[in-house]
Amino acid sequence: MTQATTRTRTFVQALNEALDIAMARDPNVYMLGEDIGEMGGDFGVTRGLWAKYGDARVRDTPLSEAAIIGTSVGSAMLGMRPVAEIMFADFIGECYDQLVNNAAKMHYMFDGQFKAPIVVRTACGGGFGGGPHHSQSVEGWFLNVPGIVLVAPSTPADAKGLLLASIENDNPIIFLEHKALYRIKGEVPEGYYTTPLRKAAVARAGSDVTVVATMKLVHEALAAAAELEKEGVSVEVIDLRTIRPYDAETVLESVRKTGRAVVANEAPKIGGLAAELSATISEECFHDLKAPVARVAGLDTPIPFSLVLEKYILPGKEQVIAGIRSVMK
Amino acid sequence: MTLDIETLVDLYRDMWLIRAFEFGLEREFKKGNVPGMLHTGVGQEATQAALAAHLQASDAFFPDHRCHGINALAQEKHQGDGERIMAELFGRATGVCSGKGGSLHSANPKVGNFGDNAVEGSYMATVLGVALAYQMRGQPNVACCIIGDGTVGRGEFHESLNMAAIWKLPVLYACVNNGYAISMPVGKGHASADIVDLARGYGFPCEIVDGNDIEAAYDAVQRAIAHIRAGNGPYFLEFKTWRWQGLFSGEFRPPEEVKYWKEDRDPLKLAREKILAQGKLTAEDLERIEAEVKAEIEAWIDFAKASPMPDPAKATADVYVGWEVAA
Repeated sequence: MTQATTRTRTFVQALNEALDIAMARDPNVYMLGEDIGEMGGDFGVTRGLWAKYGDARVRDTPLSEAAIIGTSVGSAMLGMRPVAEIMFADFIGECYDQLVNNAAKMHYMFDGQFKAPIVVRTACGGGFGGGPHHSQSVEGWFLNVPGIVLVAPSTPADAKGLLLASIENDNPIIFLEHKALYRIKGEVPEGYYTTPLRKAAVARAGSDVTVVATMKLVHEALAAAAELEKEGVSVEVIDLRTIRPYDAETVLESVRKTGRAVVANEAPKIGGLAAELSATISEECFHDLKAPVARVAGLDTPIPFSLVLEKYILPGKEQVIAGIRSVMK
Repeated sequence: MTLDIETLVDLYRDMWLIRAFEFGLEREFKKGNVPGMLHTGVGQEATQAALAAHLQASDAFFPDHRCHGINALAQEKHQGDGERIMAELFGRATGVCSGKGGSLHSANPKVGNFGDNAVEGSYMATVLGVALAYQMRGQPNVACCIIGDGTVGRGEFHESLNMAAIWKLPVLYACVNNGYAISMPVGKGHASADIVDLARGYGFPCEIVDGNDIEAAYDAVQRAIAHIRAGNGPYFLEFKTWRWQGLFSGEFRPPEEVKYWKEDRDPLKLAREKILAQGKLTAEDLERIEAEVKAEIEAWIDFAKASPMPDPAKATADVYVGWEVAA
């Protein structure tokens, strides 16, 4: 990956490249979802692929999320590699049973006789006035589900490498695409490569405090770190990348080094990823901690429509800074 | 239609195997030897025997809650070890899922058994994917999902039939309408007591079949599977039948209804009459078959009881493919 030529690409373009490469490499890979065909998906992630691969491998579906995931699982049981698109993560309620009781348990309950290597791409996250049903961060809905994998890239390069790795992986994967990241640009290597699952990235090295973040909040944390650097605070930012099962080792190693931890996740604070990380860090690093772990998360409300209201409840750079200050006291 | 005597006797044996399996299992369940819950398929043997007769090991079927019988038949027919279904229900290491699945999650892809899913209707979506894989690979296989009348209340019923229709998928819907979803009568729970009325709008063939007449069931499954294998898309069969098992609290249906189905419409009794009417076998011949089958089932129960329990450490195996979970 380090030798490869890179180009500047948006997050969407990077995902599109990954899908194209995966489709070309393996005839078992196919895609299904609402409006992913000629239209290219609601966010353009599948644009051009229907023209290239045709109806059979780029399948438009009716508004039937349970059938989309059920179809994915059934075909995966026979070795296909479906990549399903659930247009908005909020719609996952419609196929929650398929994911939780079917995909996640298939390998286990049938004693390893079946695998369910599905990738469910879905657009999540708020910040654009999408309202209560087009803005949620759903990772918490799956944290308590053994067997499910949650992947959450924050950069175009990782989006491509993690999507390719996810399609090749034998487990059922929910691939979270934060809508605020779709148009960001970054250097993306050409051609085929994978980024390892279950491996967090140190997005910025630092020595005073560790911020563990996901998706959009990685960028907010980096912005916070740049600002606090001016005050002489050295912030290490860990981009979790895989949320379940997550890379505790990298997180704990960083916290043992810095002695301070802030966990930042857009979903509501109660029972979410921030709570899980906070608990694990507290359990494992209690004697290394110079301050209690701070959680930066959404307020405990649905997501309101008006941008003023939405901004009030979702965490951003200012909340991350406040979190860091609280543990630096 | 009239079946030849060999086929009819084979089916009779299969139906007896299901009944003996379920009665034996029920006896052991009451003794506390079988953990969990118990849903038996007594009274529904003809449907299961007919499906088992026509589905190949290279096809797929998703069994419902009352399908120990077809699970055992498929296991016995294609692999010769039906006792592993019994062992699974006893939660033993020798079971088809090493005791991880139990009554509601017994599977073995090598015999075409793709496993029940205890959330009724869930596999109505899964079956689409199996069928799609067959279609995309140009394989003439059939993906069958066996559902109850209660399952029809699920949203997946609509999603599944619709998607199977628009994509012309090789799906056989075998709806075992036994009159009740636990306690809810079919006519009270659905807009029509004839499930085909709810299925016909999707535009593929739908038939009502006498689910207690083995010849009618065998014939219907044969016709449906031929249609599907020829690439003509999905087919819906509604088997009218009745389950002998009441509720855990006991019998809740009117005595005259119970009497009608158990005495006048018993699928085994009806099959027996058909065989004897052909004049080639005697009542003694059939009693010998029944005794053989019962002895075999007792041997299966003995096998299950004598089998080891799973290693507790296996409880953390296979959560993820290729990744260990901390014990």
